[in-house]
Amino acid sequence: MGTTNDVADVLIIGAGASGSVAAKHLAEQGFNVVILEQGNWINSSELPGNKPEYELLGSGKWNPDPNVRAWDADYPVNVENSEQPVFMYNAVGGSTVFFAGVWSRFLPSDFRVRTLDGIADDWPISYEDLAPFYEAVERDMGVSGMGGNPAYPPGYNPPLPAHPIHATGRKMAEGLNKLGWHWWTGYSAIPSQKYRNQKQCARLGICRLGCVEGAKGSADVALLPDALKHGAKLITGARVSQVTVNEKGLANGATYFREGKEYHQAAKVVIVGANGIGTPRLLLMSMSGRFPNGLANSSGLVGKRLMLHPFGSVIGLYDDDLDDWYGPAGTQIESMQFYETDLSRGFVRGSKWHVMGTGGPVEMLTRWNIGEGARDEEFWGDQFAVKMKQAVNHSIDWIIHAEDLPEETNYVSLDHGLTDSDGLPAPKVHYATAENTHKILDFALNRALESHAAAGATKAWITHRNFSSGHNMGTAKMGDDPATSVVNGYGQAHDVPNLYVIDGSVFPTSSSTNPTATICAFAKRAATYIAKNARNQEVGA
Amino acid sequence: MSTPLQLEFRLSQAQRDRLAVFADLLISGGAGLPAATEVDVAGAWIDRALGARPDLVETVVGVLAEEGEPAEVLARLRAQEPERFDAFAFVVAGAYLIHPRVRKLLGYPGGAPEPSPAFPDEADAYLEDGILDVVIERGPSYRPTPEARG
Repeated sequence: MGTTNDVADVLIIGAGASGSVAAKHLAEQGFNVVILEQGNWINSSELPGNKPEYELLGSGKWNPDPNVRAWDADYPVNVENSEQPVFMYNAVGGSTVFFAGVWSRFLPSDFRVRTLDGIADDWPISYEDLAPFYEAVERDMGVSGMGGNPAYPPGYNPPLPAHPIHATGRKMAEGLNKLGWHWWTGYSAIPSQKYRNQKQCARLGICRLGCVEGAKGSADVALLPDALKHGAKLITGARVSQVTVNEKGLANGATYFREGKEYHQAAKVVIVGANGIGTPRLLLMSMSGRFPNGLANSSGLVGKRLMLHPFGSVIGLYDDDLDDWYGPAGTQIESMQFYETDLSRGFVRGSKWHVMGTGGPVEMLTRWNIGEGARDEEFWGDQFAVKMKQAVNHSIDWIIHAEDLPEETNYVSLDHGLTDSDGLPAPKVHYATAENTHKILDFALNRALESHAAAGATKAWITHRNFSSGHNMGTAKMGDDPATSVVNGYGQAHDVPNLYVIDGSVFPTSSSTNPTATICAFAKRAATYIAKNARNQEVGA
Repeated sequence: MSTPLQLEFRLSQAQRDRLAVFADLLISGGAGLPAATEVDVAGAWIDRALGARPDLVETVVGVLAEEGEPAEVLARLRAQEPERFDAFAFVVAGAYLIHPRVRKLLGYPGGAPEPSPAFPDEADAYLEDGILDVVIERGPSYRPTPEARG
């Protein structure tokens, strides 16, 4: 095994959203930071978004499903027991390279689900605890949006002006006003004007395939360059097999494979930010005589409570020319009308809606062929041209996220019969969408159809009723009680005090909205704590 | 325009001739759009589509090798092997929809997405008639927590 004499102050596993936030903060504070990332840098010239075939490439080589994409850096995911596929990217920047850039803070009620609704769990931290860290990462990631949104407490004022809502957002806003429903201009981690390392958004609308312009606030663009400038060391192509512990049970580094050779990186403190699937996989793989059920797993909750946060979508067609391909792809407008619990609807919690750019002609082809009702209509032959002319440039697309409550029957385990290219066991995902989540989606999709009617759509249909969002959460729950949680409110493992988990794994509940803002804010809070608490921190190497 | 992705596999002329029949059955044209063969779907454009989705070469070759009249083959696939039909139709339609003439006729700008950064006051223009006022006037809608209540 290869080793290094350099002991990192902090070893970070995963160069995605959370790991990059922590790396930037800790490197800027003067810590010796080493980052291990199983993927590699993606050169913007490789990305598909400026090629005519971009949509075809997005369904193949650049597919968000690692089982379809099957890059060398990917590990297979066994989804035999899952209703849903699992989405993620294994690259420098992680899944932020390919997220839509939707930036959405959680609401105060998301942190107090048990108190307010009598179900699931409260978080050990509040919206108010996280608010200053939201503000900090919004500055770091070039977030654009408009303050004053009545769906949020005062103080949510992104550093950059909002993007145009475009004809799509305007048209739907008029419909929502007729209904008296909430809407607001979208928030994106994409700068509406040139900002630090990021260029102004060019509105290509291909955010989910990687930003060829270098505008989007993906971690490889907005965060890691600052971390590296301040001395952080990034090792790519490094697949971690185990977080190692010393005789006291403290983490003392990690073993990893790179180009088939095994190495060990020693560290005083270890941070894991490998997403809601990769993090429990690694903790479970890190079993030892001292930790026979996996590292930091005395509660038995590592891998449990997986929330895949399924979404629904409703597309409407209009007579107007709507330029429906414009970016930022993530949000033109959003609505929180049905976000909070109203028991008269027959379920608890709610949904967050956003109008996205629909995309190009191939996306519209797909929508016709997967939509409820639409897929039963004649499409091929004479109808192909009629329907494509009716749809391209004339659509408005609602994306609807439902809160997915935690269930211990939804979990990640290890499959020792399915391995990655280094022989490490694959994660096995066990997931079924809960009845409450189905009810939220069904209700919201029907309301979205009504909103299309109010906005003047000539036709509208549901194109997804319950589909994986790539928001993988919940598998290393945070809480104050070590018997019922894996980490505390700073991401510090109850069982291993110099091990921190800082990605969406720690979320006790999922909220109804996109998680990246909260992942980043939580990572910033954890990194701030680690830096301030360094003198009192027990260390493993 | 960017360099087409290279695909080592090439369809034979006989395969292309048969593909052209399938493609026109799927995309007959009309409503101001050409039929598939009018934009050479079975020529350079299927090569380009399969260059982006080489995993679908086997599907295309397999469907072309199915015995029977193309219309009957498509009908049989739709009824009995819908996933195979969908994959075949997807890549044929994909080849058609990346053609610049088709994109232009559909109203989609450019062969590939083209930069068009917003003007400085463009965002305000969508809101300047006070369309957001009614939302603001309804007041806060978030649910206060014990912390927010102080």
